[in-house]
Amino acid sequence: MSMSAKKQADARPAWETEVEILPIRSRLIDFAYPIPGTYLVTGARAQRGYRLSKFCMSFMKPEVRAKWKEDAERYMREFGLSEYEQSLIRDQNWIGMIRYGISPFMIFKLSSTFGVGQNRTGAAMRGETYEEFMKTRNVKDAS
Amino acid sequence: MKAVQHGRIIGGLGSPHAPSIGVAYNTGKHETPAWKPLFDGYKPMQAWLEAKNPDLLIVVANDHANSFFFDRYPTFAMSVAAEHEIADEGWGKWPLPPVPGHSEFAWQLAHSLVDQEFDIAVCQEMPLDHGWLTPLSCFFPPERRWHVPVIPIVVNVLQPPIPSAKRCFDLGRAIRRAVEAYPKKLDVVMVGTGGLSHQLSGERFGFNNTPWDQEFLDLIETNPEKLARMTHQELMEKGGADSVEEIMWLVMRGALSPKVRRVHRNYYLPMVTGFAQVIFEDLGDEATARRAA
Repeated sequence: MSMSAKKQADARPAWETEVEILPIRSRLIDFAYPIPGTYLVTGARAQRGYRLSKFCMSFMKPEVRAKWKEDAERYMREFGLSEYEQSLIRDQNWIGMIRYGISPFMIFKLSSTFGVGQNRTGAAMRGETYEEFMKTRNVKDAS
Repeated sequence: MKAVQHGRIIGGLGSPHAPSIGVAYNTGKHETPAWKPLFDGYKPMQAWLEAKNPDLLIVVANDHANSFFFDRYPTFAMSVAAEHEIADEGWGKWPLPPVPGHSEFAWQLAHSLVDQEFDIAVCQEMPLDHGWLTPLSCFFPPERRWHVPVIPIVVNVLQPPIPSAKRCFDLGRAIRRAVEAYPKKLDVVMVGTGGLSHQLSGERFGFNNTPWDQEFLDLIETNPEKLARMTHQELMEKGGADSVEEIMWLVMRGALSPKVRRVHRNYYLPMVTGFAQVIFEDLGDEATARRAA
């Protein structure tokens, strides 16, 4: 790894680059060994994602959807999202949002404002194109 | 025949809930090759409900951050409202009339549950999202909408800690006791909702496990206690993170007699979620007593 690449990696938050272990002990869920590719919304993760979740919730109001359409950047600023949260949205970085700490049901509220459906967010989370993902499904036109 | 002068559970229904079903429903895709196997699975349920003519549906689903947000997220909640608005989940409301509740029995149910140490949150207002609207819209043809009132029961399956499978099964049993203690005729159908295998986030998005889904359908019918002993970890490993909502089927099953008569079972996995539908007929308390003897 070059020095500049290393520096860049160092600058990235831990939850982006590492498997985040939540320090929770439960009889029902083994938090010490998370299921690969799975990010349960609880503990520090849920708390970190709370403001962004709240932002996604706001899209339940038609007037907010109109405001967002008019000037998305302004709405994000006015809501008080951090620079990092704004960049996740700007980049439509769905997997980034999940790792950051929001539920897929929050993603859907946000993605629908971009006209992006559930399976497109899922394909992106898997690191696949939509077409590649659809090839793995039983029925191609049930979306 | 002597009229029944108390409440009773006459059967249980299992149904998926998914926004995609609502979209398909509203755009009239009932006969398309992609959706026909799902919508056809509701036809026996429509006929069964018409024939049984229940007085009440108790529908167990999870809110998808529409009536509740993570500022306050109840483990168990129920509605006593006389009427339920349709929720705007973020892309406009599903064009359906408000869903009637059953306030009188709902208050009784709330008291009975808390008496039995199920400390459920009681709500006087609860807009319903696709968790309830998927099964309800598919259970009744538009002209019969909504001739049966509904008591919605909410289970947290989104933000752990979520209640154990056993707790959900026991909640069903407590609901049965509450129904049977009600001193008026009240034929109740229990509805458990939720997809079988599915995961909607992370790199594991799109995970499915059809053999496990089929095993789940066997177990929910014949050996629900085995499912009730499973941890969330086991359920999520076998069926994907969001399949943990199968615990809501256990509320339905817990409310039924130990043995049930299955009259319908359908399974279809078109895209990302194992969709299953069942009808279980209750065999009544005589069967319960026989088994205990």
